[in-house]
Amino acid sequence: MKVSCPFCGNVCDDINFDGEVEREKLCPLGESKLTREKKRIPYPMVEGERVSYDEAIERAVEILLNAKRPLLYGWASTVNEAIRLGVILAEKVGGVYDTTSSVCHGPSILATIEEGLPGGTLGQAKNRADVVVFWGCNPAEAHPRHPTRYSVMVKGFLVEGRRLRKTVVVDIRKTATALLSSKFYMIKPNSDFAILTALRSIINGNDSAVPNEVGGLSKSQLREFAELLLSAKYGVIFFGMGATHTRGQDRNVEALIKLVQTLNRHTRYILQPMRGHFNVTGADAVACWEAGYGYAIDFSRGYPRFNPTEFSAVQLLRRRDCDAMLVVGSDPVAHFPFDVVRHMAKIPVIQIDPHYNLTTKVANVVIPSAISGIEAEGTVYRMDGVPVRLKKFRESEFWSDYEILKAMLERVVERKGGDVVW
Amino acid sequence: MLILRPKLSFEVHVEAEITPDLAEMDLKDVLNFEVYYGKLVKRLGDLFDVETVGEGKRVILEGDFSRVKWIGKGMKDGEIVVRGDVGQHCGAYMEGGKIIVEGNADDWLGTEMRGGEIVVKGNAGNRIGCNFWGEMEGVKGGKIIVEGDVGSYVGEKMVDGYIEVGNAGDFVGTEMKGGVIVVRGNCGYVGWDMKGGEIRVGGRFDLPPSFVEENGVWRGDVNVGGKGVIRKL
Amino acid sequence: MVSLEVRNGFVIDPMNGVFEVKDVFVKDGRIVESLDKPEMVVDAKGKVVVAGGIDVHAHVAGGKINMGRKMRPEEMRYPRFKSDNLRSGVGRVLLTSPAIGYEYARMGYTTVVEPAMPALYSIHTHEELDSIPIVDKMALPLFGNWHFVFKFVKNDEIEKLSNFIAWVLAKTKGFGVKVVNPCGVEAWMFHGNVYSLNDTDPLFGVSPKEVITGLISAIERLKLPHSLHIHCNLLGIPGNYEVTLETIKLTRRFENSERQVMHVTHVQFNSYAGESWKDMSSGAEFVAKEVNRNNVTVDMGQVILGHATTMTADSPFQYELFKIFKTKWSNLDVELETGSGIVPVYYSPKVRVHSLMWAIGLEIGLLVDVDKVVISTDYPNGGPFYSYPYIATLLMSEKFREEEMKRIANVERYSILPSLSEERTLEDVVKMTRVNPARILGLNDRGHLGENAKADLVIYDLPPEPNPRDYESILKALSNPSLVLKDGKIVVKEGRVVKHTWGETIWVKRDYDEELIGDELEDFFNYYTVQRDNYGVPHVRREVVLC
Repeated sequence: MKVSCPFCGNVCDDINFDGEVEREKLCPLGESKLTREKKRIPYPMVEGERVSYDEAIERAVEILLNAKRPLLYGWASTVNEAIRLGVILAEKVGGVYDTTSSVCHGPSILATIEEGLPGGTLGQAKNRADVVVFWGCNPAEAHPRHPTRYSVMVKGFLVEGRRLRKTVVVDIRKTATALLSSKFYMIKPNSDFAILTALRSIINGNDSAVPNEVGGLSKSQLREFAELLLSAKYGVIFFGMGATHTRGQDRNVEALIKLVQTLNRHTRYILQPMRGHFNVTGADAVACWEAGYGYAIDFSRGYPRFNPTEFSAVQLLRRRDCDAMLVVGSDPVAHFPFDVVRHMAKIPVIQIDPHYNLTTKVANVVIPSAISGIEAEGTVYRMDGVPVRLKKFRESEFWSDYEILKAMLERVVERKGGDVVW
Repeated sequence: MLILRPKLSFEVHVEAEITPDLAEMDLKDVLNFEVYYGKLVKRLGDLFDVETVGEGKRVILEGDFSRVKWIGKGMKDGEIVVRGDVGQHCGAYMEGGKIIVEGNADDWLGTEMRGGEIVVKGNAGNRIGCNFWGEMEGVKGGKIIVEGDVGSYVGEKMVDGYIEVGNAGDFVGTEMKGGVIVVRGNCGYVGWDMKGGEIRVGGRFDLPPSFVEENGVWRGDVNVGGKGVIRKL
Repeated sequence: MVSLEVRNGFVIDPMNGVFEVKDVFVKDGRIVESLDKPEMVVDAKGKVVVAGGIDVHAHVAGGKINMGRKMRPEEMRYPRFKSDNLRSGVGRVLLTSPAIGYEYARMGYTTVVEPAMPALYSIHTHEELDSIPIVDKMALPLFGNWHFVFKFVKNDEIEKLSNFIAWVLAKTKGFGVKVVNPCGVEAWMFHGNVYSLNDTDPLFGVSPKEVITGLISAIERLKLPHSLHIHCNLLGIPGNYEVTLETIKLTRRFENSERQVMHVTHVQFNSYAGESWKDMSSGAEFVAKEVNRNNVTVDMGQVILGHATTMTADSPFQYELFKIFKTKWSNLDVELETGSGIVPVYYSPKVRVHSLMWAIGLEIGLLVDVDKVVISTDYPNGGPFYSYPYIATLLMSEKFREEEMKRIANVERYSILPSLSEERTLEDVVKMTRVNPARILGLNDRGHLGENAKADLVIYDLPPEPNPRDYESILKALSNPSLVLKDGKIVVKEGRVVKHTWGETIWVKRDYDEELIGDELEDFFNYYTVQRDNYGVPHVRREVVLC
């Protein structure tokens, strides 16, 4: 049978499994996830003591119900079925739902709010794209099979492979992806916004507004770049953290979107964020249909409200505006700034995760879970939103995220009353 | 006139849509006024001491209000004086009257305000005088004066009104349609995709490559056929 | 509660010829002939009793509406339902999934069709449908720009095409065949569009005419309960009523005595005469005449003046709209299959074109034969579905139309609406919201209150023949049913949702021979980015399979 890889936003679904995972189609990242065992959390714990699942869940529910503003964070590394229960749990305990988007592609979502997203599926890059631009992203290392499956070497029905595709890399250093490319623009750090705006000015015929040099590119280089973009019959721009986490942030993405809007006046272009975790896209999508927004959602008034600068995990912790935290499939202690983690140490923390990580050290309640895509099945959304089923191909004694969250939700509704609404 | 003082040090932020209207209500109703302490619905009197002092449509906030949000939301007239710092969303959707913050203000000061005046003696945070996420129009009228410095994103999609700040962070007057923004000191990018209005800067600033210089001012944004003006103070 | 009697109500059940005071009995979720000892009795004296409403066309689930939510948080700022004992729900026109189910139930609707499911995204569409409470649901996969379809049509391989449709319905748990701007969406992948039924797509060289007739042939061969469901070419463009007429005429070579052979959806958007926005006028009269003389049905696609979000699989049209409104634009090109676009709009009563669109929709509702037309807004394109009571009231009351026309731009020279004195009766409205949709979809277990029908039942506080001049009472009563039963359970009382239930997902199964299309599947799956094994929907919450 074929199984899907629960590592990055590619969610490659062509991995052969015949009693064990065949390594042939795995990239190094997939291989580490699917074939190597990291240290597991052995059993549920409360304050470091071994307890039953029931006891751990009971304690977790008590913490969430007693808190004034509990934060339910993570969600990018589990399946939609579990995420959905997570959103409903956040609603029922009057807490905040936030995902790893808020420290990752949050700027892309903010830009989408301003402008929409002119996008398409990865198959469009494979089949039609004769110009592919990688802006501030490095798939050769972060999404290793992206070039071969979707974007560079792959054979599509209109564009039969690498020779017929112009590949452009824009970055501040010569990355592994730049080595694959037919054109590389080395730009100055933090100049994405200005360069993107200059390209748009040139394509709009407003050359005179563009100075002689922008972000390390001369005006003639910029003109040449604009011509290259316009030469496409069908172009795709992929972008990553190089655009979202440098000066400008969401404005860089907005400038990318506006550039793609402009390019579509002349030819066809689509834009695609290179999203990291295998289901960060699902974590946004599920919350959107259940609660109207993708992340940073507060339910304290009994209905959802959205504000990334107020209800995102980092903001709530930094402002000491939450008094309990549930972490699902994420390691904020490892990834958040120190002043933010400090507040985590002061409030009760519940962790649901298959593996030990730094967050385990500060968690008061630790609930081990089955690994999604290996020991538990479910739906996830690839970076372009295409749904892919993750399969279960190994038995496990651990409860799935779905089972754990369902038990929590049942207890919450038992205490508070109300219909079964999930 | 009312004087409000927090009774306790708040564990999480409080949402209290306090407006000068309170000064004209019966004390009983003031004490029963609904506020939110995290997910808990509370009465104003549970969290704040309330003192009535003389006449006038005025509310004085004494003590630490840096963890109290939505002060002055949608107020139409009267005056609020904050004798210290104030939390997020102060003066949001304000239509008239005056708010004076003697300390610092947090993010989202004067969101989508239509009239009235906000004066901050200290600094203010990000997203001053902006629109709510996704809305097409920001501030439509009124005045925001920050004597200190402010963060990034000032006066997004502003339609009319006046905003004046010290130094500002990145992106001032993005997609602005009208009104005036004055940055007395330095700031980052100004006026991207502005259709109209004027931005005046005293110090250094970054100009997006989509403006054309003409008689000592910059006009644009050319990519949206904008008639905005950026000039030195 | 298992059994219930609705006593003394005035039953309007046109499908069974009932228009009289009559008791209705419910047992185990179905209508029964009689009951000895009902566990509960509801007195409906002085009120009308009708079947649950059915929406044949509303974009309630899937990647499009969800992208709409994501890019429009300003739409979601409106609280409708607090969490309490049920779910919370928010939204202005775009609503969250729980709010969609609750709002449908609140106005007495119990079934809805999601009319645009890209097969590649079918898991997502069904996940969202599974999150909409109370109502029953169906989804129509999109076929009109699919490379498989183009290839079979080009080679005139109708048997293979039929097989393929059956394969898709099984894979995606789909209910019928939807077509959106056939060939135009594929042309958009090349920055183009098609402008007549005989233009061809740039890749396979097939025309809309060939795609439409090929698909109808296959659908009729498969005897699907629902006909071809078409969003015509050139939607939203002045002068497009002619292509609509041509499209309707394509049905003349097909016969079907059971149902229509084509359902032209949101036809208001395809009934424009004139040559530009400046001289646009109504072509509704011509379209209505052509519908009335052919075996074709329509839904209105009524525009509600105010906020809306356009979202269609018609991606070239969406980009044109973006160039006009310059607000926000999302696009999704779906490999091999289809595309889509999203653009927010505000239909302003001050803008003549918008007011005219409002008038054209009503012309359609009044001029098309009463058994061929269904109320819709093409949610959320024309506006909210929860405005159906408003639309029904406009159709029932000339006086209400006159009042409304006072607050909009003058359309007199461009629309005949001001001169139309037709008034639909309450019974007509029951046809346009219950009977017709059930027949159009080929569902005989709903849309009526005969024996063994689903106990989806609504009580309105209205007389059977309300006075059209008292339109305020009509609107109020239609907007706030006294009682709504879904599968025999009370879900709404006095306009308030009181119970959270889950409806069914209905899909259509036909036998197919995968071998017959094996070569094509193998070939095309080289160009998909998902494996053939992984394609399709493994399960849904509660399914009903029509065989």
